[in-house]
Amino acid sequence: MVTVLYFARSAELAGLRSESVSVPQRITSLQLWEEIVKIHPRLAVIRDQVIFAVQQEYVFLGDQLLVLQTGDEVAIIPPISGG
Amino acid sequence: MDESEDVPKDFIKLKSEKLSVDEVSELVISPNCGAVSLFIGTTRNNFEGKKVIHLEYEAYTSMAEMEIKKICRDVRQKWPSVKHIAMHHRLGVVPITEASVIIAVSSPHRTESLEAVTYCINTLKAFVPIWKKEIYEDEYSWKENKECFWANSEK
Repeated sequence: MVTVLYFARSAELAGLRSESVSVPQRITSLQLWEEIVKIHPRLAVIRDQVIFAVQQEYVFLGDQLLVLQTGDEVAIIPPISGG
Repeated sequence: MDESEDVPKDFIKLKSEKLSVDEVSELVISPNCGAVSLFIGTTRNNFEGKKVIHLEYEAYTSMAEMEIKKICRDVRQKWPSVKHIAMHHRLGVVPITEASVIIAVSSPHRTESLEAVTYCINTLKAFVPIWKKEIYEDEYSWKENKECFWANSEK
């Protein structure tokens, strides 16, 4: 069980800011995205714009293999606009 | 000021209250520094012909603070003479003309602090997980910095 955090447009599309999601411990970042989209299909429209932050490190959606522990934070990061 | 306590410091704050230029610049003042350089990001009242009513900011706060700490660390590697760095960013509603970000850097001579401030705001816009929503009269828009480090990258 990881904690998925939603920000900005992804929070509007998912309709919430955080939730616990059950995923395999070893999973690619793209597979993780696909698991989350199964729960919130409306997120599919932003697939090409977002990246992840896993335990506060940026991860692109792709083949990168993640090893997730219970309670790890996975954040959906839409294009940023600070400053 | 006790000279022995004047070690280089980073002052990082994300807050919903109005930012203060006086407060941020005073944080970085140092007896052996002859320069304080400052950047203030303020909210504009228009975008592509549309009237902007106000801005709203949100952040992945814990990660944003960490990314800002990394920027401070990078500044000290690139400009070792930099003394103090302050980066304050406002969250929540920011009315037109008010500051959304204030960055101040002190150094013995002006070149380093001027260059470091530029680096800070450019890198913040590329890497720090903060989002801005522009509120117009009839609609709103989530903004995207062109500096965003993964913008337009191949997936």
